[in-house]
Formats: sequence, structure tokens, C-alpha cells
Amino acid sequence: MTANSATDPVIVVRDLRKTYGQTRAVDGVGFEVRAGEIFGLLGPNGAGKTTTVEILEGLRKPDSGEVRVLGIDVARHPDALKERIGVALQTAALYPKLTVVEVLDLFRSFYPRSRSSAELIDLLELGEKRSTQTKALSGGQRQRLAVALALVNDPEVIFLDEPTTGLDPAARRSLWAIVESLRSRGRTILLTTHYMEEAEVLCDRLAIMDHGRILEAGTVHDLVSRRFKERSVRFEAIDGLDDSRLAAFPGVSSIKHEDGEAILYTRDVPATIGALLAASDGLGVEARNLAVRAPTLEDVFLDLTGRALRD
Amino acid sequence: MRALVQLTIANIKSFLRDRAALFWTVAFPLVFILLFGSIFSGGDDPPRLYGWVDHDRSPQSAQLRSAFDATANVDLADASEPDALEQMRKGDLRAVIVVPSGYGAAIDSLAGAPGEPTTVVVYSDPTQASVTADTMQVVTAVLDGVSLALSGRGPAVVPEPRAIQTQDLGFVSYIVPSILGMALMQLGVFSAIPLVADREKLILKRLSATPLRRWQLVGSNVIMRLLIAIVQTVVIVGVGAFAFGVQIAGNLVLVGALVVLGSLAFIALGYVIASFAKTEDAANGMTSVVQFPLMFLSGTFFPIEAMPDFLRSIALLLPLTYLSDGLRQTMVGGAAFMPLWLCFAVLAGFLVICFAISARFFRWQ
Repeated sequence: MTANSATDPVIVVRDLRKTYGQTRAVDGVGFEVRAGEIFGLLGPNGAGKTTTVEILEGLRKPDSGEVRVLGIDVARHPDALKERIGVALQTAALYPKLTVVEVLDLFRSFYPRSRSSAELIDLLELGEKRSTQTKALSGGQRQRLAVALALVNDPEVIFLDEPTTGLDPAARRSLWAIVESLRSRGRTILLTTHYMEEAEVLCDRLAIMDHGRILEAGTVHDLVSRRFKERSVRFEAIDGLDDSRLAAFPGVSSIKHEDGEAILYTRDVPATIGALLAASDGLGVEARNLAVRAPTLEDVFLDLTGRALRD
Repeated sequence: MRALVQLTIANIKSFLRDRAALFWTVAFPLVFILLFGSIFSGGDDPPRLYGWVDHDRSPQSAQLRSAFDATANVDLADASEPDALEQMRKGDLRAVIVVPSGYGAAIDSLAGAPGEPTTVVVYSDPTQASVTADTMQVVTAVLDGVSLALSGRGPAVVPEPRAIQTQDLGFVSYIVPSILGMALMQLGVFSAIPLVADREKLILKRLSATPLRRWQLVGSNVIMRLLIAIVQTVVIVGVGAFAFGVQIAGNLVLVGALVVLGSLAFIALGYVIASFAKTEDAANGMTSVVQFPLMFLSGTFFPIEAMPDFLRSIALLLPLTYLSDGLRQTMVGGAAFMPLWLCFAVLAGFLVICFAISARFFRWQ
């Protein structure tokens, strides 16, 4: 049963579990990915994202749970799946002594049908490096080649595990553009990331993962608005303004601390800031690095886990 | 099939671009051959000691003897034919010259009227090409002198060469098949290093996310190594033959079968190492630990017979002992330390054991 109609989800995961020794790497994960969307697994290192993705790719066997990709039961028929998916591992794995075009041609030989190397080199902007051995590529070029290798068989589903980790901002943005162009070609993409911005820019829907579990899933807008009607007012914490005084400011609904900053979630930004300035004036100090922000995924993550998501 | 071919080509390219691998598999064995070859085939002029067997006992045969005696650097040792050949097999004589009965009569009749030349039998060892060539040169010169004195019209006496296998190979003849065995061993054992490196770099993991089957991956590695083994064999045998005159006098099919079986056995040993080495550094260390005892205790550089008892019993446990012994027997007619069938059987058994161990313990990720 591999046929799937347009309405069926391309990826179905139910109650997935995988334990290594004492560690529950994946602890009851479930989600669905629809055709043509970019779905993100967002979470810190060690959250279980990579283990989850590698089970979906047929590289690891789950202890229990159901995984269907393109209607194929992955645990039972991993080989049937491999012709139809594209994979970029977290660490770009390449033959160091082969050139870009040689690696592409090699991977093309593994599939009954494939896109031409020239086309992939164009798409991933690797033209200048086509005859360079992969060990001499920069981090960004390496990642682009890893994505090119994931596309050689023109797959229906593409798995990208931390595709931009370690890249500079320009290289990251260029890779985002490539991923978006894949969506516009109707491909389904599952990516993992620990960058909030990447998840916000790319993902149609995402799931926040921590300690092997999915804490919450939905669109970025859903995740944020479901949790926060407020905006946040941040400033460097001031001695003498403890939480009890801050909580009494007009509009403030909750307070958090992060890296020496106080964060006030408020429904009435002008009233809260007015009260803050009056209070700090009264203490004879200045509220430094004062900023107002609409809540972001960052705030959602902080609220869900009690800690910030950092590189 | 296309994947297998492409992967094999990719492996060969990676190999050719790896200077360390090239050094160990091609340059290193050649250095040994050139080194030992030039030391032991040195250009001094050792005395030519020939066995002298006279079945004729005529004045003409005595005359022939004195003609040999008069030649510079030639010494003759009188003996019966069986004794002389036995001494030659042991390596005490370079050649044996046999004057057949009827020699004197034949010379007398040729002195009257020219006719079919008569013969003198010369035993030499064709695997020792330079010695054989030297012997034939000396003998031909002496016989030509006899012919000339008789009539001056064409040859009256010609040598009739006969091959005999001597036990005491020249050292170069000994070292060439031994070095080939060593090179094949290293080629196989070193297969562990790129394999572990590919696993460490997650290349094997990336490949398992493609439709490529594992037998294709292993198959392409084995094919590449066998191709290199053939190149090594040609280069080593070629250098031995052209630079030092070591002739392959044995059965080429048996030599080929040993090269292939030996390579497979040691590639399998490489996979065993790769099954237990977690990192490329560990694989490097383990290949050294494995290859050096094999290199020095398997009779590569000196015969196993010459080893003290306890080393000899270790040598009997090492698979390279059987490969090198088999190669010496089949390539240059070296004396058998083991029966040839046992060499094949031990290598085949070793291959099966290594295959089973790596099938059980090898990890792809």
C-alpha cells in the first residue's frame, strides 16, 4: 500500500520510541506532514530530532511506534523508501578526494532515474567548484553539495538535518532560498534546526522538541498567539526592582528572567514602560537596553522549557 | 551494476589520490626488492663450480675436461651423475656437465667427415636465469673451441641443456615472491583504514540512505583491491625479471589463484580490523600491530627453516607464511616448506573465518 492521495499526509509518525541504554532519545513522538509543506523539528541539541529523522529515513530501527513515509511502512520496507526520498545528514558526509561533479555522478548511479549533475550544480550554485575535491570546499559549499546529493533522484520527500549549522549568515540565507525553491516545486521537506529564525522563515508548520518529546506543534503564528496575547518589555535587571514590584506595574501578566535581563509580558506597553521609568528614576538608575518585542518562537520556547534556545 | 562500476571507479580515484596508500602498496615493496636485489645480486664473480660426469672415459673426453679446466674461474668436481645432481639440488654446484658414452667415437668420426654434431648434456636451473645464461656462455665457448679445432666447418659439439630445480634459490629469487606476498598482505590489511574513515566521516551512513546495497559496497571495495593486487603482481614480478633476472618458471594459473585467494584472505582480515577499530587512528594502529609480525615472522626476509624453534611455531600460525611459501613454490620453483594444497587450504580457511567474524561484528554506522 504505497499509493497516497493528495489529501493523505506524506509523513505519519505515531508514538515513536527509541531508547539508548538509559536515555530515552525519542519518547512518544507523533506528528504528520502534508504534501508540499516544509515541516520543522525545532529544539536544542540532544532533543531527539536527529534520531527521529534517521528513523524516518530508514537508517535506524525504532523500539516501537508507527512510521509511514509516502505510505510505506519504513520499519518493514526501508529499501522501498530509499529510491523516493532525499537525505542530507547533519554532518555533510562526502568523499574527500573526489570532486563535486564526481560525487554527484557517483550518487546518480545509485538511482534508476536521476537529474543531471549540470542541473544540480546550477541549482546549488556550485559551478565554480565543480572540479574541486570536496575536502577543499567551504562549510557553505559542503552543505550545498549535501543538499544537491539529496536531490539527485528528484525525490518526493526531502530530509534536511540541521542544514545550516555552522554557516555564516549569508550562506544560511542562500540555503534558505534554495529550500524555498524546492517547496515551490511541490516537494515535501522535513528539516530539523535549532535556529529560531530559520524555523520562523522557512517552516509552514513546526514541532518544538525537547528531551525526546514534542511539546507543541503548529504554524509559527499558532504557536505564538496561542500562548501570548502580550508583547514583551525587556531591560537589564535592576537591583531593588524585584518581581513583586514589577508584577504590580500596569498591564504586566507575567515575568521571566534570562541572562541578566528581566522580561515583562504586558498587554499595555506604554503604561508598563511608564511605570518602569518612574520606578527606575525613583531608584536613581537607568533602565538599560530597554526593548519592546512582539513575542517570537524564542518566547514560546522559553515559556515551554523554562530556558532559552541557544547555539 | 552501474552503481557497482561507478563505486569501484570512485574507490580507485580516491586510492590513486591518496599518496600514503600508493606508497605502501607500490613504492614500499619496490624499495625492498631494489634494495635486496642490488645487495644480493652483487656484481662479484663467484667461482663457477660445475659437476663433471664422464660416461665416456675416452681421450677426447679427457681433452674436453682440460679445455674446461683451462677456462678462467671454472672449477670442475668429478662425480657420478646421481651424486652430481644431488649436490646441485642442494645448491653446491652451479651446473652439471655430462659427457655421454660414445662421445669420443663421435668426435673421431666427425674429424674424418662432417655430419650431425654430437652433444654434451648441461644441467642448469632456469629459474636462476643469470647463472644459467653464464653457464651456457662458458660451455658454448669451450665447445665451439673443440668444434673449431676439429674441422672449422660448422659445429661438431653442441650443448644439450636440461632443466633441474635447485633447492637453494638465489636470494633475489627468494625475496621476489616473498615481497609479493607481503605487498598483497598490506594491500588487504590496509583496506581497513579507508573503510573506517568512511564510517567515521558518515559516508557509509549516507550511502545506506540510498538504494545502494551493502554487497555492492563491499563488492566494489574487493574489486578495486583485486585490480590493485594484479598491478602489484605485474610490477613486482616485472621488476624482479627485468632488473634482477628472476624468471617465473611455475604455473601461471596457480600463481594467479594464489594471488587472488591471498588478496581476498587479507582483505577479509582488513574487514575484521575495521569491525573492531572505532576511529581512523585506531585502524592505523591496529593495522601496524597486525602487519609487522606478519611481515617479519612469515619467512619474508629469511627462510622459516632458519628460524629458532619458537619463532617457527609462531610462523606456522601466520597466514602470510602459507601465501609466501605457496608463491615461492609456484613462481620460482622454491622448495616446499608446506605442501601447496595446504597453502591453499589454510588461506581459504582463514578467508572463511575472517569473513564470518566481520559479518558478525562489522558496523556500518
